[in-house]
Amino acid sequence: MQNQSNNFIALSEVAVQDKTMRSAVVFGTGNASTRRLASMYAAGEAHGEGLRQQGAEAKRRALRKLPELLELAESNLTANGVTVLWASDAAEANAHVRDIAKKHGLKKAIKVKSMLSEEIGLNGALESAGIEVVETDLGEWIVQLSGDHPSHVIAPIIHKTKASIRDLFVERFGMTPTDDAAEMVAFAREKLRAEFLSADMGISGGNFIIAESGTLCLVTNEGNGRLCTSLPDVHVAVVGIEKIVETFEDYATLTQTLTRSGTGQLLTVYTQMINGPRRPNEMDGPRQVYVILVDNGRSDIYATEYAAVLACVRCGACQNVCPVYRSTGGHAYGWVYGGPIGAVLTPLLTGIENASPLPYASSLCGACKAACPVDIDLPKMLLDLRRDVVEHGKNGRIWDVGIKVWALGNRSQTLFKLGGIAARLGQKVIGQRLPEPLAGWTKYRDFPEFAPKSFHQRWAERKKGTS
Amino acid sequence: MSLPIRESPISKPVSLFVTCIVDIIYPDTGMSVVEVLEHLGIEVDFPMAQTCCGQPAFNSGYRDEAKSVAKQFLKAFEGAQIIVTPSGSCAALIRHDYPTLFADEPDWEVKAKRAAAITWEFSEYLVDGLGVTDLGARLSEKRTIALHDACHGLRLLKLKSQARALLSKVENAELTDLTECDMCCGFGGLFAIKMADVSGAMLERKVGFIEASSAQDIITGDASCLMQMNGGLTRQKSTKRVRHLADILAEGLKK
Amino acid sequence: MSARDKILGKLRAAQTPFTDVPPIETRLRVTPDIDPSPVALKARFLKQTALVAVKPWEVADDDAAVVKVMELLAEDDTVMAWDFDQIGLPTLEAALSARKIRVTHPDDGEVRVGITGVDAALAATGSVVLTSGAGRSRGASLLPTVHIAVVRAAQILPDLEAYFERVRAHGSDHFRQSSNIVVITGSSRTADIGQELILGAHGPVEVHVIMVG
Repeated sequence: MQNQSNNFIALSEVAVQDKTMRSAVVFGTGNASTRRLASMYAAGEAHGEGLRQQGAEAKRRALRKLPELLELAESNLTANGVTVLWASDAAEANAHVRDIAKKHGLKKAIKVKSMLSEEIGLNGALESAGIEVVETDLGEWIVQLSGDHPSHVIAPIIHKTKASIRDLFVERFGMTPTDDAAEMVAFAREKLRAEFLSADMGISGGNFIIAESGTLCLVTNEGNGRLCTSLPDVHVAVVGIEKIVETFEDYATLTQTLTRSGTGQLLTVYTQMINGPRRPNEMDGPRQVYVILVDNGRSDIYATEYAAVLACVRCGACQNVCPVYRSTGGHAYGWVYGGPIGAVLTPLLTGIENASPLPYASSLCGACKAACPVDIDLPKMLLDLRRDVVEHGKNGRIWDVGIKVWALGNRSQTLFKLGGIAARLGQKVIGQRLPEPLAGWTKYRDFPEFAPKSFHQRWAERKKGTS
Repeated sequence: MSLPIRESPISKPVSLFVTCIVDIIYPDTGMSVVEVLEHLGIEVDFPMAQTCCGQPAFNSGYRDEAKSVAKQFLKAFEGAQIIVTPSGSCAALIRHDYPTLFADEPDWEVKAKRAAAITWEFSEYLVDGLGVTDLGARLSEKRTIALHDACHGLRLLKLKSQARALLSKVENAELTDLTECDMCCGFGGLFAIKMADVSGAMLERKVGFIEASSAQDIITGDASCLMQMNGGLTRQKSTKRVRHLADILAEGLKK
Repeated sequence: MSARDKILGKLRAAQTPFTDVPPIETRLRVTPDIDPSPVALKARFLKQTALVAVKPWEVADDDAAVVKVMELLAEDDTVMAWDFDQIGLPTLEAALSARKIRVTHPDDGEVRVGITGVDAALAATGSVVLTSGAGRSRGASLLPTVHIAVVRAAQILPDLEAYFERVRAHGSDHFRQSSNIVVITGSSRTADIGQELILGAHGPVEVHVIMVG
């Protein structure tokens, strides 16, 4: 997907004016956060924090052994009858999927939601090769129908209102207008059932791969995950290399903290563990299962101080608590991932020069880290990425110069005092008309008056007994 | 993340780090801190060479500039036994980031670690450091107040119970709720101007909850948040105001 | 150089991260303090099923279970089903043929009801675990709008962790023999439309658990 992240400031300016979208996003994220708190901390604060720690350590232990576990996973997947392929980047991953389709003469794919597939632009690559792709997650299907992009890692249309979906169904399919969500879902079920039954390829992502058994794990609610991975003869999964966990026990912890953190559910409706194609004595299931292990920048991140971001389980908890995300929605971030995880992953996966505003798209409130089931220190990463942006000279000259001047004025008490006097005098002249880049302040709020005497002065007078 | 057990500050003189915003915009708040501490019999000094902790530069990604200003701080507070500051964000920077900021300069790293070990935010100094919650404060008339939990203090220093404990002992102060009291006000330092539209949207939400709260005053521990919220409240012509914890405590101590 | 070699090479060339993360000592269960006594497990399971909109039916024995299944079949003339010995109700076969109800292949899109047994049930979450295998189709619990799962009280485990303890005890090879294991917790659902929770998406809309014993 083409990256527009350098336009964050302009995109966010437009986004915050979209009251309808903001309202939808605030509602959806608020609900999810409330549910997360209730389920993660159901057995008390200490227990919930213990679970986060346990998940964090499980992921980090797996990352420590990543090359070894990838080989173990490959060996076990292969022994299970899965064909394992590797892809360094988007082009290679997409080429694999096209080749599989060609090899088996496949024409129509049904797809389970996969953020990685968005990253690599899989749908577009398949469509250019003449393969029809139908998204089957209700939200992703609606995204596809409306030519939109998902705006949240687990709730792709959190930014859309029910009314807009109704209008879409009416316009595209002539649905009898209704404001009843259940009726709309029933309508979608019928429409998509035909697609499920006529496809010859199922495509999914992967939430986890358990290395010790070669098991691909999916976490879904609608049933499309099971249908896509059971009905067609060929199932292809694209999975990031960082999705490996070592043991059943680690998986048991993480699959449950993922769901609690994402939606508040104890388990999603379908916690699926795929061990391979149908066995000789089984009546259904795919006859071929492919798992494509995709790098696409992850091995680069692995070698940096940002390696911990690879622990991300894509639960969306950070997006749900982020006051910036809740003000702008996900699209303003300009790429696949928005919110705190997006502000970190986008520069790391697509290059700092392509996403320089994103590390600054945060007030560093820390709510994301507190919500993360694997305790990724996103605020620290944002700070370090800002350092990187400055080192790359991408923050903008006005800031480079401004900060230097500011630092000069704060390195000595004398200059600090003079700066204070200048500010006081200057305020008498310009009042609320602050110069750039400070003018952004007065767009939304009044600027306070500088005090006639600084604390320094008042203290000095106090000591002299003259205050 | 539990915070390390710290050296007790009892019986030690306090060097006040007033912060740049309090220094030039809200010096009364600095005075309030002094009044509260002196009321408790604490000896307070004010190193005149202090300027700023360096947060604006550090948070914007300018590590060298941050270091140069941090060095000024460390020089000014050389010899301090306890540092108290009315700002959770400044205290968090000194505690969490100063040591690593100077990791490549061993002489300064020693000073940074020392500063980190002895720096306290105002409310935690009183409650956790001195073990004091009841200052004997009394407001002249009943007032309903609510707290806004400033983010850095809340999440990095685990400040939440201390201010509430102090205020619950202030006679005539009635504590009530502020919806989303732990949701960011949108200041975030230079974020407020660099990402002004987002900051404005976050502020809009915060101001809405302040207006909806039954509290007459909102109390917070960080003057920067206060500046953001009051800037929005006056722009909306609201009669409500956000005040610093030190100010309401000092008010309660006036005879 | 193959992508595989390139990727593994890059990972190995990097300085190993997280070398300070200790091995795990005590593992927290995600749902602590579950009373493991059979009576308590059954009660907990039934309570949890209600929270995920699963309809539980308690019956005393196999005969009562068959009666209940037949009650849930309305005008149906076809059903999807696991093999009767896999469901654990051998007499169900006769009951179905007595009503002239035919068991179809698991890819029949027109069937309303699917009947299965389970591999296990999880008390903490009100879940049923279905393992694919000979005579244990995926389709029976997936394609129809109604899924009837026959569960024996003795099959109830405390939680997902306990399920994996059992997997370990039997050896993971046994687990891997099945192509697909699914833990089903409730009826299919979506909240994509205006964040309103709607029960019944692409999977079964109604899930019934017949609890035997």
